Amino acid sequence: MSVLSPWRQIDTDTLTSRAADMSRNPPGSNPKGPEDCRRLRRTIAEDPLWSLALVPSLSHLCLQSIVRDFEEHPVYEQLSPIQRDFIHERLPSSVPLSVTANLINDGVYWMRCCKQQWTLCDVSHYGQSWKRMFFERRLEGMIELFIPGVTETKTILEMVPLCKNYVKRLDISQLLTPVREPQNENMENYFLGLIDDDEYDGPPMDHFDFSILLEKLTCLEELHVEYRIKQCGLNYECRMFKMSHQDCVSLAMALRSCKTLKVLRLHLSHIDDMNCNLLVKHLLAHPTLTELDLSHNVIRDAGARAVGKLLNKSKLMVLNMFDNEITDPGAEAIAHALSKNSTLVSLNLCLNRLGDKGGQAIGNALLNNNTLRHLNLGANEVTGPTAITLSKVIAQNNTLRSINLYGNNLGEDGGKALEEALSHNTSVTECDIRLTEIDEQIVSAINQVVLKNQVLGTGGISWID
Amino acid sequence: MDAASGSKIMNSSISEISTRRVTMQRQLTTSVTNIQTAADVRESIRRKQLQEARKKRLEWLENDVRSSQEKFEEIIRGLSAAKEKVIPQEVQEALDSQQELCTLILNNKDKLINDLQQNLKSSDDRYVKDLRRQAEELNLMMERMEDQIKTLTKAYREEMAELERFCLQESEVLVTRDMAEWEQHMKELWDRQLESLEQRKEKVMEYEAKIHSLMLENKDKLSTIKTEQDANSQALERQNQKIQATTTFMRLKQIKEKHDAEEYKFNLNQMYKRVNGLQVEMKSLVTKHSNQARYLRDTSHHLNKDYNRILQQHERVQRKIKHFAVADGRKFEEMWRMVEEELRQLVERALTIDSEICERYLGLAWERPVMPFKELSGPILSEKQTSTDPHAQLFQTEQALQCSQGTMDSSDRARSEAESPVMDQEVSDEGLDEETLTKVIELLCNETGLIEDNILMLLAPLEEEEQTAMKLGSLLYTLGLADQDLPKLAHFLLKYRQEQSKDVSGELRESSDQVAAPIILPDQVLPALKSFIQQNMRSRESSGHSQSSVLQIEPRDSSADKAYWESLSNIIPEDKVRLWEEAENMLQQHLAVLMEISELDTENESLMQENTELRILLQQSLKP
Repeated sequence: MSVLSPWRQIDTDTLTSRAADMSRNPPGSNPKGPEDCRRLRRTIAEDPLWSLALVPSLSHLCLQSIVRDFEEHPVYEQLSPIQRDFIHERLPSSVPLSVTANLINDGVYWMRCCKQQWTLCDVSHYGQSWKRMFFERRLEGMIELFIPGVTETKTILEMVPLCKNYVKRLDISQLLTPVREPQNENMENYFLGLIDDDEYDGPPMDHFDFSILLEKLTCLEELHVEYRIKQCGLNYECRMFKMSHQDCVSLAMALRSCKTLKVLRLHLSHIDDMNCNLLVKHLLAHPTLTELDLSHNVIRDAGARAVGKLLNKSKLMVLNMFDNEITDPGAEAIAHALSKNSTLVSLNLCLNRLGDKGGQAIGNALLNNNTLRHLNLGANEVTGPTAITLSKVIAQNNTLRSINLYGNNLGEDGGKALEEALSHNTSVTECDIRLTEIDEQIVSAINQVVLKNQVLGTGGISWID
Repeated sequence: MDAASGSKIMNSSISEISTRRVTMQRQLTTSVTNIQTAADVRESIRRKQLQEARKKRLEWLENDVRSSQEKFEEIIRGLSAAKEKVIPQEVQEALDSQQELCTLILNNKDKLINDLQQNLKSSDDRYVKDLRRQAEELNLMMERMEDQIKTLTKAYREEMAELERFCLQESEVLVTRDMAEWEQHMKELWDRQLESLEQRKEKVMEYEAKIHSLMLENKDKLSTIKTEQDANSQALERQNQKIQATTTFMRLKQIKEKHDAEEYKFNLNQMYKRVNGLQVEMKSLVTKHSNQARYLRDTSHHLNKDYNRILQQHERVQRKIKHFAVADGRKFEEMWRMVEEELRQLVERALTIDSEICERYLGLAWERPVMPFKELSGPILSEKQTSTDPHAQLFQTEQALQCSQGTMDSSDRARSEAESPVMDQEVSDEGLDEETLTKVIELLCNETGLIEDNILMLLAPLEEEEQTAMKLGSLLYTLGLADQDLPKLAHFLLKYRQEQSKDVSGELRESSDQVAAPIILPDQVLPALKSFIQQNMRSRESSGHSQSSVLQIEPRDSSADKAYWESLSNIIPEDKVRLWEEAENMLQQHLAVLMEISELDTENESLMQENTELRILLQQSLKP
């Protein structure tokens, strides 16, 4: 006998019957049982190195061929879970997305794709779904590298039908501006300050137009956008870090069309009052928006007023205006809205310039509010009077959980008032009064009360039961 | 109790650990957020300062504007006043003052610009410093975060280990407690079961005793009742049997009578039928017999005719053979004579050549060698002399042929005559009857045991007649006998028997002659057979001799022929042949010498001629 044939006889009956079993019954539910196996003819190896374990089964070979020809003949739906796992592990990531996107469900395949493209992959940020992670990051990458006027919008639009079912969040950390030919004269003038920014009449500096995309992403829930460029180097231009009017219009329209959006974060984008007003105008009747984050912008009182209007015309639960330029009129507007609001849970006005007037307004508004839980008025130039009004609130209100007043010059009186109020309160579990020039003793007393409240709060759900 | 206290301790310790963890977490986060809050505060302060600086700047600018406006107005006024002045000195004065004012304004402006530039520079510096500090703070924050992560992970690990330990302890405690409980329960169970088992055993014993006594009582009662009933039933049975016996006896009698009558009738009918059948059969047999006899007669007639015809044919063939034999003899003789004549001539010729060689070449006296066969002619001639004539020979052969015919006619008789004169009268009785023959055959077959076992096995399924036939065939084959020898054998056996019996007693002879009596005793068969075979072999040999001698015409004595022909071939002896060869060689040499001489002769002649020519040439040359 030749060495070429590893076994003496190929038992075709066995093979065909096995294949038939495979197709009819899922493996493992062989109805005939072990005696059937014993009945089959045995193949005896003539090659001493041959062993049954090394011989791939027919189903294995079939699956391999499926993997090989997956691009032409994608077979996936008909397979059993175990066989699908096999394909997940073997399918090359070079297979076009148009084949795989809507066919292969979440699993090892997408994990492999992700790990091939990105070194850091934290799937817990994506709801434990590798597929979601893959498509979200891919779409983010495409948008972040989109150059208006150069990149064709088709490339992104082609991606939309593949990923629209999986993208829930878009975290876009940069948006590129159109490429501009260096114009020496103008640039010189520009740098010499001879030409004002606003008078410059170059090509429009608009960023990516979200209106073409957002309405098509039917599952989008979160949108984080930063109108800036990460690594601009020496090509710095002020406009690169600014949301233009056209951008704002397109984004506002897009947000209006996106009916599933819940969280919107627009930070570090140099949003001024006008843009803020425009955005708020389009967000007024949004059905699902619950969280709005406009931190690190340049919103002033007009914008704050608009936001205050928005508070009562939507279902906002979280409002974050961290690091803006709101002063007392804006704060008064927000306070007015707050006094009538019953949805807002968290309000962050940290690092603004409310002043005592604004602080007192908000404190008075909270006397009529029973929903707000978290209030942040840190670094707001408020002083004793605000603290006194807030201590009234603390004494009366039982919903407020955390108060943040750090970096304000509250003074002794304010500290005392707060201590007294907190001694009657059981709900406040967090009170940040660092750098407020309150006496050490009072600070420690307040901290003890807060600790007590924490223990009480956790006592209810303690695992030591 | 123990477990409860243990779990309490555990709970307290766990809560301790968790509170420690929580406080640690809080402290660490505050240490991180402190930096942030500080940064925020600084930022807010910076903004405040920025605002103030802006305000201050604005004030400055306003003051400056105001002052410069005043000065400007003063200048304008000065200018208008200067226009009115006519005296050049005054004008010059006014101009100077104006110029002074202007320079003042300019100085003021320059100062402002300088101030502003300084401000800008300082703020730039501060900005850079701020940036640096922020970077440092960020680094610090990161460091602290990392520290926090490390310490927290450590704490978590510790907590987990603690928890694990506690859980293990708890589970151990629980397990031990459960085991103890289990063992206790098991023990109780076993005790209870043992108790119940003992009770059961006692009960069983009790019941057994009771049952035994009951059984005995019942048995006694039963046996007494049984004996009574048995006696009753036996009496009844006896009566019944008696009645039955009488009735059956009567019935049997009647049946027997009836049956006998029927049987007689039936027998009679059957006898009649049989008689009729036998008669018919007899008739058919008679007719068959006559047919058979006629057929046999016809066939014997035919066979006789055939026999005669074949005899004649045979005679004819014999005669032909004789004729051919005579013709062959004559032909042979002629051939012989011719060859001999030829030979003699050849010999003569050889002798003459020899004589010539001797006389002419060797110069020797030649003598005619001695030739005995010349006088003694060939064997044929001598034969002719011995046998009288061909006719006599012919007659002789004819006689022999006739003789052989006679033996063929009645080979049995002739041979037996030749063999043993004792058998003569018995053989002349024209064979034996069939029955004795078959008997002899059977005897031979059955008793001698000459037939091999496997043959018997093979023959077993055949019918008896066929069996005997086959056995006989094989027997005869093994003994080397022919079919014709069979009756002879039978005779011999009979004779042997008689001879044996004669030896024993004369009285038995009468009975042995009878056909019914056994032909021969089984134990004597073998020696009888042996002697018969010996006899038979002898007779056959002798008969073979006679037959062969009769059929051969004349044996040729070929040994004399060979000697004769050899003597002829040796007429010229070996010495002579050698002499001849020598002579031939010598003659060859002689011939070669002669040839040489002849060649030299011709050469000599040519030289002579040349010589003469040369002489002539000399003379011619001398002459002139």
